[in-house]
Amino acid sequence: MSSEAFNPNPTVFVPTKSKGSSAFAKRNSIWLNDLEIDSREDEEDDAESGDVEEIDQDEIFDLIRTISDPEHRSMTLEQLAVVSAPQITFHDSAPSGGNSRSSRLTVEFTPTVPHCGMSTFIGLSIRVRLLRSLPNRFKVDIRVKPGSHQSENALNKQLNDKERVAAALENPALLEVLEQCLAGATD
Amino acid sequence: MSVKTLVTFFRGKLDDTETIIPALQGLVSLVGTSNITSQEAEEIVRSLFQHVKMKALVQSQRFKVFTIVDILIARQRDALKGMGKAFVADYINLADGEKDPRNLMVAFAIARVLLIEFDVSSHIEDLFNITFCYFPITFRPPPDDPYGITSEDLKKNLRLALTATPAFGPFAIPLFMEKLIAGSPTTKRDTLQTMIEAFPIYGAAVTRTHARKLWNSLKLEIFQPTDSDTENDALKTTQALIQTIYRETDQTQPGPEPISEEIEGLAKEACEECIRILKEPEKSQAKPATKVICAFMSTTPSVSRYTLAQAVPHFVRLFLDPDESSNRAPMSRLLADVVIAARDSTLLDPTVLPVQGEVFMSPYKDKVLGIFTVGLKTENTRKYALEGLKGLVTTRGLLTDEELGFVVHNVNEVLSENGDEDEDVSEAILDLFAAISAITPRHISQTTLPQLFASLPDRAPDRNADVERLRYWRTLAFLRRLCVQSELFEMLVVRLSTKLDLICAFQPTPETTDLEPTAAYAHSVLRTLGDTLAVKVDKGDADVAKYVDRLMPRLFHLHFLGALSSSGEYAVAADARLVTVTAQIVTLVVQVQQAQRQEAFAASLFAAYFDGEVKKIADGQPKLPDDVPFKPFAAESPASNKTLTVLFTAASIALHKEVALPVPDESVFLDTLLRWSIDNSATSSQREAGFHAVASVVNKRPDGLNAFLDEKLPELWTSQAANVSVFAEKRRKVIVGWAQITRALLVRANPLSASFTDRFFELFEDAEISWDAARALGSIVATDKVLTKRNHAVVKMLYAQKFFNSVLPRIVEGAKLSGNASRQNAYLVALTSLIKSMPKSAYTHELPTLMPLLLRGLDLPDADIRANVIDTFLATADTASESKDQGNTVISQHAASLVSTMLKNAMVQEMPSTRLRIAALRYLAILPSLVRYDILHPQKAIVVRELAKVLDDPKKAVRKEAVEARTIWFKFTG
Repeated sequence: MSSEAFNPNPTVFVPTKSKGSSAFAKRNSIWLNDLEIDSREDEEDDAESGDVEEIDQDEIFDLIRTISDPEHRSMTLEQLAVVSAPQITFHDSAPSGGNSRSSRLTVEFTPTVPHCGMSTFIGLSIRVRLLRSLPNRFKVDIRVKPGSHQSENALNKQLNDKERVAAALENPALLEVLEQCLAGATD
Repeated sequence: MSVKTLVTFFRGKLDDTETIIPALQGLVSLVGTSNITSQEAEEIVRSLFQHVKMKALVQSQRFKVFTIVDILIARQRDALKGMGKAFVADYINLADGEKDPRNLMVAFAIARVLLIEFDVSSHIEDLFNITFCYFPITFRPPPDDPYGITSEDLKKNLRLALTATPAFGPFAIPLFMEKLIAGSPTTKRDTLQTMIEAFPIYGAAVTRTHARKLWNSLKLEIFQPTDSDTENDALKTTQALIQTIYRETDQTQPGPEPISEEIEGLAKEACEECIRILKEPEKSQAKPATKVICAFMSTTPSVSRYTLAQAVPHFVRLFLDPDESSNRAPMSRLLADVVIAARDSTLLDPTVLPVQGEVFMSPYKDKVLGIFTVGLKTENTRKYALEGLKGLVTTRGLLTDEELGFVVHNVNEVLSENGDEDEDVSEAILDLFAAISAITPRHISQTTLPQLFASLPDRAPDRNADVERLRYWRTLAFLRRLCVQSELFEMLVVRLSTKLDLICAFQPTPETTDLEPTAAYAHSVLRTLGDTLAVKVDKGDADVAKYVDRLMPRLFHLHFLGALSSSGEYAVAADARLVTVTAQIVTLVVQVQQAQRQEAFAASLFAAYFDGEVKKIADGQPKLPDDVPFKPFAAESPASNKTLTVLFTAASIALHKEVALPVPDESVFLDTLLRWSIDNSATSSQREAGFHAVASVVNKRPDGLNAFLDEKLPELWTSQAANVSVFAEKRRKVIVGWAQITRALLVRANPLSASFTDRFFELFEDAEISWDAARALGSIVATDKVLTKRNHAVVKMLYAQKFFNSVLPRIVEGAKLSGNASRQNAYLVALTSLIKSMPKSAYTHELPTLMPLLLRGLDLPDADIRANVIDTFLATADTASESKDQGNTVISQHAASLVSTMLKNAMVQEMPSTRLRIAALRYLAILPSLVRYDILHPQKAIVVRELAKVLDDPKKAVRKEAVEARTIWFKFTG
């Protein structure tokens, strides 16, 4: 890795916190949380209702937000606004609806500076995280935000080339750094 | 005289390699025990220097040489000093090249004395060489080191030598910088910590000449830290540096207050540099820059005044700059940090209350207060504004009472807004209020609380009115935290019980027939009272006791009114969920009463529940109907009345053991209550509450209960539990009750508990209910909120362990016994249920025997049992990973089958229970840390492949665990 920093002093953003009633009550409940009553009810219906909780944008964002930046290991991609929930678009054909059509997912990310040499690596780490964490039916597209990088096309091509991703993962040194980034911020 | 002879004798033997060893030994004893004259001391060291060749001696002999010198220095210091520079020079020769840590410990101590007390002016460089050559210490003691010298000991002694004289300064500082740049994190920290101690010794002059270079190296450690510890040490070193350089200037100006502009040199430059970085507060470098500024707060008064004068106006300017308005959030955060650092400055004497207006922050307080008040108004700066305000409020001698009122007023405005802020903000508000309350509670009790009470609606918002509901939840959450103190709690009780009356008085109208929102609202209010009360009981507040008269009659009235005037329809106040909360409140209040008061209360309680004299415990408006009978324990009683039985049982479990029940015969009463619980209770919680009440009396007063324990209960068992012609459902109820009574006896170590326990084993033969008996057996020692010291139960030490030790062998034996498979399974069920109730330390040593049985338990067709087994595995995993070889052999042996079982249980197609799927995935996730790679790696491909399917689980919580487990297996390499 190059010792020269591409962006030694990036802008830090405050992660948005989910807010709302979750601290007080269960989803869709008008009753305040009550340990005594809840434990009793849990025993009865045991959360075994057949409800399917679909994979949603937030869940996918939760997967990638904690990845740490390769250049600033103490910060997450979310803090540097490299990734954000609105930059995830997807179409999920749930498994029940026949397996013929695959689900598609596009994750866009924004390098902090247009000459950022770490962009491939960031893209790769997002890809590996999603590869490991999403069901096989998802076809994942990873691209940099249009206009945010000087070699946008090359980058997008590289990130979505199966062969090249696989080849990169064969490199033990690269894989080690990758695992560190996937493990999350050091701070 | 003889000493002199011996000294001469030993000295004479030093020059001979044959005799040097005993001679040294002799000298050690001699100098250690006798009074050596100064002349003899000189002679001894001279001979040592002349004859002893350190390199020719082994460690233990060299140690003796050092010991002799050390003792002589301690006892005849003046004599050795008298030898002048020659002594120093010769000692340097002697000590040069020593490597053994034991000897070095002594050598470093000697060096320190030499440096401080001896004339070393012409040998500074040599002494520098024989001490600094050991820096930094990289020694690591061998395992099982018999001498017990740690690298910390060495570091400490060496550091004392290195910081012994200012003369080292010019040589040492460049060396420190070199080590700082090149070293490992440990070396860096060691260097930094040594510098912190060294700077004040080395003095301002020499430190100042290197100041810029030092700052440049330190900056690197602060702005691109290797880890947070090193960063911290670097900040402290910077503090020490500034203190050393500026201390003198501060002291030479004894005037009232040095003018801040006069600061020159490093502090000024470093400060300006940081301010320059802070022009972009949103960037990542702004944080370390602020840390430097904060560190300057605890250096010297003039530097911290100067720094504040630079930093605060800078932030103020930036905050007010419209072009920078998007960066207000990071700005507020950094400013809050500075405020807090100024507050915590070590320059302030905590025992002296600063005079108003003389705090460092005073000149800027209006502006800073203004900024944070503005910051409160917008959502993204709110949290930091609150933190900053707390910093200001807690700075002693800064804000006036009036200004505190101003702060409270502004925060109240935030509260009255829509109120959809996140948890952090709520926490920050409560934090700030707590800080203000500690100074003066007046502002909060007079403005905040009335505002919060007023914002609670009298009628429940509609089912769909999420925003309003969230608002009252939030208000109640605030009240719960703010009203713990006794006067405020009284206010809470008065306001909320009135509110409850109003809420529950709501009658359905043609437009709104939905009563559930009303019940949910009332429940939230009750919950708030209950939670606050629980906090107070935990704190041991004395005012809880009085609420037996102030609160309980009103709550009883509320529920009685609901139940009695409902005429069979649903009544909010008789909702079981509300009554459950009140039951908790009743237990809490009754348990803190004296026995005498309890006796009077019990009399009224029984009168109300068995003679219909409800007015004895209930009081309120409107009047309870006189014409409706209240007989909750009667078989034909309406459901709403039966619900109220849990209030009776809740009070009775908290009675002291001296309090006799106001009934003619306790045995008869308990028998009736037990049979009511089994046959006439309407819900499982009523039934359990009944069992608890019975168990509580059995535990506290078993002596007068012979008729119940020796006759009625055995009869009940034979006629119902053991009787195959009785419905299974009823038999199950009897078994559960039996377990409660067995627990009551067991907890107080009553000998009857053994025969009561035996009954469960009898049922293991009976396929219909064997599992229920087995589960009940395990549940006897499960954690329990009823038979506790607080409820005045008689609890003996280690009863659970004793029970476990007596029952476990029996269960293990039964489970191994071949033959009847269903009986075996019952034993397995008992094992899983029992082990879940026990702390892992109780069974860790038994694991090799238990493991095969627990694995069989995983095949039982019951999700809960399987989940219990996996939870047990998870609990034992911590200990297993600590002793990687011992505990793990068991797991390693079964690794392959464990993996396949867990995978099977993790699949939604195979296993509908969410709890079990999650437990199985958690266990899969820790397996790689328990089992060696060479044993587990054949499973890797399968696990990774199979878990891919679990990633598509319908439940979010399961997917999350699957992601975690799969990531761990991906990373699992040799």
